[in-house]
Amino acid sequence: MNENRREILEMLASGKITSDEAERLISAIEDDKGVPSGASLNAEPSSKPRPKYLRVVVEDTRRNGEPTQVNVRVPMQLLRAGVRLASLIPADAQQHVDSALHRHGFTIDLGQIKPENLEELVDQLSDLTVDVDDSKSKVRVFCE
Amino acid sequence: MIPLFAVVRVRNRRRQNIRLWLPLFLVWLMLLPLVLLLLPFAVLACLLIHMDPWRSISGSWQVFAGLRGTHIELANAEHHVLVHIF
Repeated sequence: MNENRREILEMLASGKITSDEAERLISAIEDDKGVPSGASLNAEPSSKPRPKYLRVVVEDTRRNGEPTQVNVRVPMQLLRAGVRLASLIPADAQQHVDSALHRHGFTIDLGQIKPENLEELVDQLSDLTVDVDDSKSKVRVFCE
Repeated sequence: MIPLFAVVRVRNRRRQNIRLWLPLFLVWLMLLPLVLLLLPFAVLACLLIHMDPWRSISGSWQVFAGLRGTHIELANAEHHVLVHIF
């Protein structure tokens, strides 16, 4: 979120301007930048760098109270290639995979993931952050 | 681009460090004749199970090439293992 937009939202929150005025001001800012006025307020600039890696960081102290740390960085290219390869699985085997996924609560059909969906999926991953915290362990999944 | 080097670092409880640089490109060079030898069989296997051989081979290659940049690190009070693929 840029500075101007933040100021407008702060003015709106403090009651200095009405919601209509805020909308007009945001539209004016977007028009100046060449962004379509219908774009979402939450939309990030298009120049946002695409994530290159998926990081999984685990800290666990369950075992003897001593900390165990796991730090894994997986290239996005590998994820893309893996999903593409999964789409090549023959139909017979695909059914087995799908039923196994369904059994474990994943209602996803890997065969339906097309290259264009895959790019969209990877783009959306840039906003993904999973944080799991409890007293003895911490798991963090994010893209960088 | 395929992975060319891998670094494996192991530290044990006595704080001894073992750091290995593995020249993967030499491994690939050594495996190349074997891969070329097995390629017709792989194509045949793909045809038998109704998979597109070209897409399968290119997909496998992409997975192989995608390994570059992979980083795995495990550490506890006694051991520390790190694998990084360049």
